[in-house]
Amino acid sequence: MLEPGAPGGQPGTAPANPHTACWRCLRRSWLIAELSPQLDYVYADRARLLALLALGDAELIAALAGRRRDELRERHARFARRAADRRAGVRAICRHDRSYASALRAGSAPHMLFVEGAAEAFCELDRGALVAIAGSTRASDYGREMGRALARGLAASGVSVAGALRDGIGAAALAGAAEVRGRAVCVTPGGLALAVPARHRRLAERFLRSGCALSELPPGASGRRWGHAAGERIIAALAQVTVMVEAHDTPRELAPAWMAHTLGRSVAAVPGRVTSPLSAGTHALLAGGAQLVRGASDVLELLGRRAPPVGPTSDSAPGGPDRLSPQLQQLLARVGAGEDTLDRLTAGAKDAGSVLLALSELEAIGLLARGDNGRYVPTLGA
Amino acid sequence: MLARAHTFTIDGLQVRPVAVEVDIRPGLPAFSIIGLADAPVREARERVRAAILNSGYEFPARRITANLAPADVPKAGPGLDLALACAILAASGQTSSERLASHALLGELALDGELRPSHGALAVAMAAAQAGLARLVLARSQARRAALVQGIEVAPAASLKSALRILAGGVADGAPALAANRQMPPDAARGRAGPDLGEVKGQHHAVQALILAAAGAHNLLLSGPPGTGKTMLANRLASILPPLSAQEAIEVTRIYALAGLGERLARKRPFRAPHHSISMAGLVGGSQRSWVGEVVLAHQGVLFLDELSEFARPALEALRQPLEEGRLAIVRARGAAVYPARFMLVAATNPCPCGYAGDGDRCDCGESELARHRRRLSGPLLDRIDLLVHLHREHDLHAGALTTTRRARERVLLARERQAARLAGEGVLVNAAMDAAALRRHVSLDERGDDLLRRAGAQGMLSARGQHRVLRVARTIADLEASPRVRAAHLGAALAMRPEVGLHGSRAA
Repeated sequence: MLEPGAPGGQPGTAPANPHTACWRCLRRSWLIAELSPQLDYVYADRARLLALLALGDAELIAALAGRRRDELRERHARFARRAADRRAGVRAICRHDRSYASALRAGSAPHMLFVEGAAEAFCELDRGALVAIAGSTRASDYGREMGRALARGLAASGVSVAGALRDGIGAAALAGAAEVRGRAVCVTPGGLALAVPARHRRLAERFLRSGCALSELPPGASGRRWGHAAGERIIAALAQVTVMVEAHDTPRELAPAWMAHTLGRSVAAVPGRVTSPLSAGTHALLAGGAQLVRGASDVLELLGRRAPPVGPTSDSAPGGPDRLSPQLQQLLARVGAGEDTLDRLTAGAKDAGSVLLALSELEAIGLLARGDNGRYVPTLGA
Repeated sequence: MLARAHTFTIDGLQVRPVAVEVDIRPGLPAFSIIGLADAPVREARERVRAAILNSGYEFPARRITANLAPADVPKAGPGLDLALACAILAASGQTSSERLASHALLGELALDGELRPSHGALAVAMAAAQAGLARLVLARSQARRAALVQGIEVAPAASLKSALRILAGGVADGAPALAANRQMPPDAARGRAGPDLGEVKGQHHAVQALILAAAGAHNLLLSGPPGTGKTMLANRLASILPPLSAQEAIEVTRIYALAGLGERLARKRPFRAPHHSISMAGLVGGSQRSWVGEVVLAHQGVLFLDELSEFARPALEALRQPLEEGRLAIVRARGAAVYPARFMLVAATNPCPCGYAGDGDRCDCGESELARHRRRLSGPLLDRIDLLVHLHREHDLHAGALTTTRRARERVLLARERQAARLAGEGVLVNAAMDAAALRRHVSLDERGDDLLRRAGAQGMLSARGQHRVLRVARTIADLEASPRVRAAHLGAALAMRPEVGLHGSRAA
């Protein structure tokens, strides 16, 4: 039953191979995968989910397994290391490993993680700073642009960025970090190599070159809804600061902030327009004392760092907005103030053609972008 | 004795020559028709017999065999009656057979000998002229239309009797009136009151784009929430297009007549708006019953696809060839055919399945629904779209109309004239049809425009194909403003309407 080389697993003693999890931790992740359907019943109640995930193996079986209790207990007792699925490119690291992030050794944090991508990025987590960028999956163009620009700025100044590999803010943040080949971390709701929805596969390939994907389930386990909440808890634990970019004022969308708060991490939020329901959640956080974030430099200040000299930028841009002609500056200001459709921008203009030209020029130098419904969005540059 | 008469049968959009050979021999009285005839043709026996007797001629009481050659082409419809009757009368010596060889005969016979119209007269006239026949005898009501075809004399006949008179060298019924009718009425498109652009309040940007699309024959996609006027705009597009030329009118009339959709001379450009449940066969044609699809019926006009994302993928894929080549080649078990299909594509779509994405917090589509919607749109069809216009809810409910149909059409006509003059010798008539070489010759940017285009490319706003598209549109904008050069402002406007999807579609995902 016990493999000869497997370490006993006393807390604190590291296994011989730095990238090999001990069998007890492997067994733990197997057990959680077995109980995944039961865990899904409590996915909406995050406090209960965290309490369940903090239980020991025996209590977890007792609490969740129902009629399968006896069968699971028996299989748990007879668990053999080779039963754990192995997959190329995926490493398993458990909490008994020295390189395991110390932030994950307490409470409901997972006992072990499967890591894909640049493993150094994971090992760096304990040393470097990490900022979580979170928000609605149904974000506006403004929110996605902010998420992208924040991640890009932070990654360029050497801070790791964590986000969920989901539509909206998470994907935008991971894409932003990938643009400058920064360290990015995401947690998948299911096992690795399976959980990525097809539409995110290219994004995942890009950011995995310099970042890593984490999962607490064995490779190949299917993802369920509770996996998103569980992923939020891992990211909240790893990050020193959690920045909410855009969120409705609902417990579900504000969960990352709540998790970070309960773990004693700082919470920051990006303001939006007061009338926008998508910013209601972040405004509620700000009103409740969250730090205000206007750009990457605000977050760096929260981390106790100074803003970077000059980040690597794409820029065909001939300098910042200050060097633009008055007409372009005025137009940029109008778009920023919410006049973002072609119809409104050209309404009343004597020469609609010159407005269109100015818009295209702003787009061509990277200060404006066209969003999903043809609405223009100001970009933050770097 | 043997006699042979010429007529035509219609197979899909093709008109095929048919020789009616009648042989009369002694024997028991019998009348048989061979050569793949369908039911109306077989029933011609009774009609022809009655018409001959009621016209005062004698129906030979001998063994009559009528062969429809070529024997392997299916013959359809009652249009062969007249040829059959004349051939029988010639074979029995009741009329001279020498002129039968140079005449085409078309029409259905009534029992009393009256000549009735059969569909496709215009197409038959064209085919007869091509076959080198001198005259076409057909029903009086169809003579005017057939007379539009050059190179053949049209001889209207009221009855079997007058047809025989014409074959004997006599005058046709009402022939002199035809000579004046050779020309298309010059104001073919005047005097009809369709929907008017003046009824579109606000949405000035979209109206501009509509005029632009009409001027350069660019394909247009309208995107916006329900109730913003997408369909209203599209319905008005046909009215601002230039009128059909005589040649185009003949093409359109021919298609509609052969499809059995009316014989009247086409005066306005076709506007086809099939429902999104249409199948691929319905769109391109070629199923058993209807050989002519919507794409062909939209020839020289507008094909409007409302709710683009709801169309079946195969149906949309099938549009690629006609959009690219202006013709449609279909091959089915029954045969192969090439149809003309040069049309402007106008499509409308909601920004998401529920229609309200980007409209405050009203949209309640799930993530996967949105992704699926975006994927359906960004397929190969979007690649053929030149202009993308986003419509938003009009904030100013008292906004005035930008222009009227009459004024817009004048601008379009002027722009088309300028294009035609500039593109003379290129083999194309409109900017949308310019290829890369023609683009280089006809689009020269000023310095600011060059710089803008270069930057846009560097910023990832345009693909190589997208760049050509933008230049074509910019050329049309310049033509609308009577500018011989393409200035930066024209390019800027074209860039603002380029169909590349938003930043998060292309950059982040």
